[in-house]
Amino acid sequence: MRIVAYVVRRILQGALVMLVLSIVVFVTIRLTGNPVAGLLQGLSPTKQAIAHLEHALGLDRPLYVQYAAYMWQAVRGNLGQSYSMQVPVTTLIWSRFPATLELALAAIVESILIAVPLGTYAALHRGSTGDLAVRGASLIGISFPNFWLGIMLVLVFSVTWRIFPASGDAGLLSLVLPATTLGLILAGVEMRLVRASVLEVVPQDYVRTARAKGSPPARVLTTHILRNALLSIVTFTGLQFAGLLGGVVIIEDIFAWPGLGQIGLTAVEQRDYPLVQGIVLFFAALLVLVNLLTDLSYLLIDPRIRFE
Amino acid sequence: MAQPAVSPAPAAPAAPNRTHRLRRWLSASVLIGGVVVAVVVVIAALSGLLAPNPNALSLGATLAPPFFQAGAAAGAPLGTDYLGRNVLSLIIAGTPISLEIGLLATTCAATLGTALGLLSGYAGGWVDDVVMRLVDVQLAFPFILMALTFMAVSGPGLAKLIVILILSGWVTYARVVRGETLRLRELLFVESARAVGAPRRRILARHILPNVLPSVLVLAPIDVANNILLSAALTFIGLGIDPSIPSWGGLLANGRIYLNTSWWIATFPGLAIMVTVFGFNLLGDGLRDALDPRSRT
Amino acid sequence: MARSWSRLLGAATSASLLVAGLAVGSVAQAAHHRPAGVKTGGTLVIGESSADVGNWDPVATYEIPWATVMNNVFEGLTFRNPQLQLQPGLATSWKYLNPTTLQFQLRKGVTFQDGEPFNATAVQYTFNRLLGPAGAKGPEQGNYTSIKSVQVVNPYEVIFHLRAPDPSLLTKLSGYGAVIVPPQYIQKHGAAYFADHPIGTGPFMVTKYVRGSEIVLTRYPHYWRGPAYLQTVIYKFLPEDSTRLADLQTGAINVMQAVPIPDVPLLKSNPAYTTYVAVTPTVYEFGFDVTQPPVNNVLVRRAINMAINVPAIIKAVLKGYAKPISSYQGPLSFGNDPNLKPIPYDPAKAKALLKQAGVKAGTPITIGYDGTDTTFQEVAQAAASYLDAVGFKVTLMPVEQNTFYNQDIPDQKAGQMFEFGWGGWTLDFDNTAYLLYMPKQFYNPSFSNPEVSKLILAERSTNNVAARRQDFYKLDTLLQQLEPGVNLYDTEEIWATSSNVQNFVAPPDDRLWLWHTWVK
Repeated sequence: MRIVAYVVRRILQGALVMLVLSIVVFVTIRLTGNPVAGLLQGLSPTKQAIAHLEHALGLDRPLYVQYAAYMWQAVRGNLGQSYSMQVPVTTLIWSRFPATLELALAAIVESILIAVPLGTYAALHRGSTGDLAVRGASLIGISFPNFWLGIMLVLVFSVTWRIFPASGDAGLLSLVLPATTLGLILAGVEMRLVRASVLEVVPQDYVRTARAKGSPPARVLTTHILRNALLSIVTFTGLQFAGLLGGVVIIEDIFAWPGLGQIGLTAVEQRDYPLVQGIVLFFAALLVLVNLLTDLSYLLIDPRIRFE
Repeated sequence: MAQPAVSPAPAAPAAPNRTHRLRRWLSASVLIGGVVVAVVVVIAALSGLLAPNPNALSLGATLAPPFFQAGAAAGAPLGTDYLGRNVLSLIIAGTPISLEIGLLATTCAATLGTALGLLSGYAGGWVDDVVMRLVDVQLAFPFILMALTFMAVSGPGLAKLIVILILSGWVTYARVVRGETLRLRELLFVESARAVGAPRRRILARHILPNVLPSVLVLAPIDVANNILLSAALTFIGLGIDPSIPSWGGLLANGRIYLNTSWWIATFPGLAIMVTVFGFNLLGDGLRDALDPRSRT
Repeated sequence: MARSWSRLLGAATSASLLVAGLAVGSVAQAAHHRPAGVKTGGTLVIGESSADVGNWDPVATYEIPWATVMNNVFEGLTFRNPQLQLQPGLATSWKYLNPTTLQFQLRKGVTFQDGEPFNATAVQYTFNRLLGPAGAKGPEQGNYTSIKSVQVVNPYEVIFHLRAPDPSLLTKLSGYGAVIVPPQYIQKHGAAYFADHPIGTGPFMVTKYVRGSEIVLTRYPHYWRGPAYLQTVIYKFLPEDSTRLADLQTGAINVMQAVPIPDVPLLKSNPAYTTYVAVTPTVYEFGFDVTQPPVNNVLVRRAINMAINVPAIIKAVLKGYAKPISSYQGPLSFGNDPNLKPIPYDPAKAKALLKQAGVKAGTPITIGYDGTDTTFQEVAQAAASYLDAVGFKVTLMPVEQNTFYNQDIPDQKAGQMFEFGWGGWTLDFDNTAYLLYMPKQFYNPSFSNPEVSKLILAERSTNNVAARRQDFYKLDTLLQQLEPGVNLYDTEEIWATSSNVQNFVAPPDDRLWLWHTWVK
């Protein structure tokens, strides 16, 4: 019952978050400039043409009228039409989101597969060369920009050794390079978090207790240590899922991956109001969901945690 | 049977002597990390002397490769860029501002985020909800849009850049610290302190903060790198700082289109970031080990 | 032996095809005859440098890249070939009955790719749609407002009633918003479906569109000029330069658009690839805000013009892949005076002029530019060093692209000098001249001159080509004296294909024409 109440409360708060966000984005994107002249730039941006298009797009109405009209449609599932593509925003989101999701999930899985074993190894063999090697390797993912990693991977694995394609999303092979680029960046951070949290747990009370009780070492490792490390990773992954939009944008650009990130940045640059608003609100909804799942998984992983 | 990997140790050493304490604080990590950081800081301080004229154009020696490749230019061991500027000079000259961006933004974001994370995790209830929902709004708000809001109309600038980095950076610390705080709150020693009636501030400062610091120290060096990389991303879309001031972020942005032919322009700044982060990381790890008596092997 | 002979024959034939095309450009006759050696049925995979346009409806297009694809799917009443000659398209002939009445005879026997017939009804439908509410939300309507109405005289004759003479109308009818669309198909399926599944009269039809990824065209067998040689053309959207190059190198694409200048030597030296250079309509200048000191003095503007060594910049920064210009238009633009020379590089004279104008050493000047334009950033940095050398103190100010063009320049906050890149596919100086030199235009808040305005209004009020040309030449010379900007260069675009791609013409306006391209 407590869980149900908690979930309901979180969903309501999530709706509040989205409402606040909708206002914030609505106002700020309009503060950053007007899309009309930019859209007409390739043609004839005379003052009449600009005024004409502004009126056609409804941008000459007062702000609160535009907001009300937008929200009225939005709650009915109509997020408007992209100014630059003249395609419904919902169409763009639905058609592109699966690709971004696929990329994000693949990257997260890859990063966990890299980070957990290496981070645990580094923690358990603290101070050894292996530890230093892991910590050094994690620095590569952290210090180099994502475009550097992506382009280097393409140069090595696509152009020099023709193993993986450089672009597109045809089949599993083309997922490898973009997911690995993003995965390496995530793994760089996660390796350190895993190492840190395993190190913390290793000397602590309940591990000793478990050992004193006579549980075999393997059991000790998995049940107690990893559970704690997992808590760290879950927090961070939950956080990363939200922040992934920023990293995904560049990756999708480089690898011509037809996801949401690809149009997200241009939407902002072109001040394509409906598209920006739509994408932000969509991600906010996802974020609320992911955060909720993250917090709920805390309860699964460590039953002692309570949310008062 | 296998010996336990960790020998049972008391919660705090009984009577630490001077050499013992010194050894704890001057571990290999701290020493190596400290040296690296010191070198970087010295380069930053002396950059005016070491690289007096980084923006000197040399239209005759553009895109010269580093010293180990054919066609290298004399005096430019790390190569030259598209206008013939010496990459090594640019990196040296870029050290002060890159450090400033990285360190200032990170310190402020870490402080703000840790404070809010502690508050959120320990107090729980509606405070936790408000802070975490604030985190959600910040996370969902695109970084580029935030940067544009601050800078598009009134122009870019270093101060605004740092503010934006802090605003986007605090959330990671807040969430991680909150997670840690939640866990620690339920542990025995905290329960007992509470039972005894210790004031909340004392519990936070004495028992919880020292135990969340290790996580913060893990995140902070990463954040330093991330902030420099974000400044590169902003430079790439035209929201960077004054281009006449060299910076590692600026070099990365400018070198991007040359990556498959003149790879050195964007690679060496990345190495510079890597070395700096490496230094701070080792230093941070060493400090963390010194702070936390229980994490000794 | 036999093999190399047929290859030689094939090469000679395709070469003569090319020459014939260049000399005559006449494709009015259906060329069912296919020269020996030409292989049909190949696949061209083109790596485009622009992102997915998202909407293929001609009425909705904002973007030049739309035509890179759709020039092979849709057609207009007139046709402009890659050599920029205007020819009959879906209309076989036209005549101005008076300066505001234009009569077209339409081509018989043409069908749309869904089988419906092309006739006067389709033409009227197209323009009613473009000029009506469907076109109102798009930008193309603004280009064709000179058209008042389209009258159907008989199924193969239409009359355009214009509001005022529009000398570039015939060119504008060859593409973009004016291409003819199928009335029955749109009425049956609706505009939203049409946007994803466009149907036209051109040599290729759209068979697959994967949003964000690629668009696939296949040969339309009943094309009125005769079927194309290629069976399939795939356009992949690859905006990242290094990925596009990697795809060419791995063979994932066999045509690459916009090879970045640093990568050209790599491809040029490799016999597996052929590179093509095309002049584009896009020209670059430094615009002046003529209300701000010190550039409010024409002597100072001339000094700045003479202080910057444009040919050296073209050589060093652009590696020669640009053409110097003497007025703010490219050599292919109608209105460009080929006998007018650019202002020469003369730093000594520049210093003298500055002295004459009373400009002290160390006078600050701010150069604003689009921060995302990495190439121009290099140009600006080079220009800054030239200006520093004659005594200015230059501050470079990169600005975010949208803010720069749509707020700072109109609000006069982009510095005394600012980057300005412009180019219209019509390749007629009228568009640029009006927007930049008529007073109080969106991109021209500061410059105004009555002589200039008179000339511009004169050239656009007549359809007489010779008269317009004279007006333009006078305008070019006058503008050079008034110095509203520092004319820099006309950019060139470099295409690369694998060497087995034949009869590929790099278009000077990004509108690829693939009808007789083939793959060996």
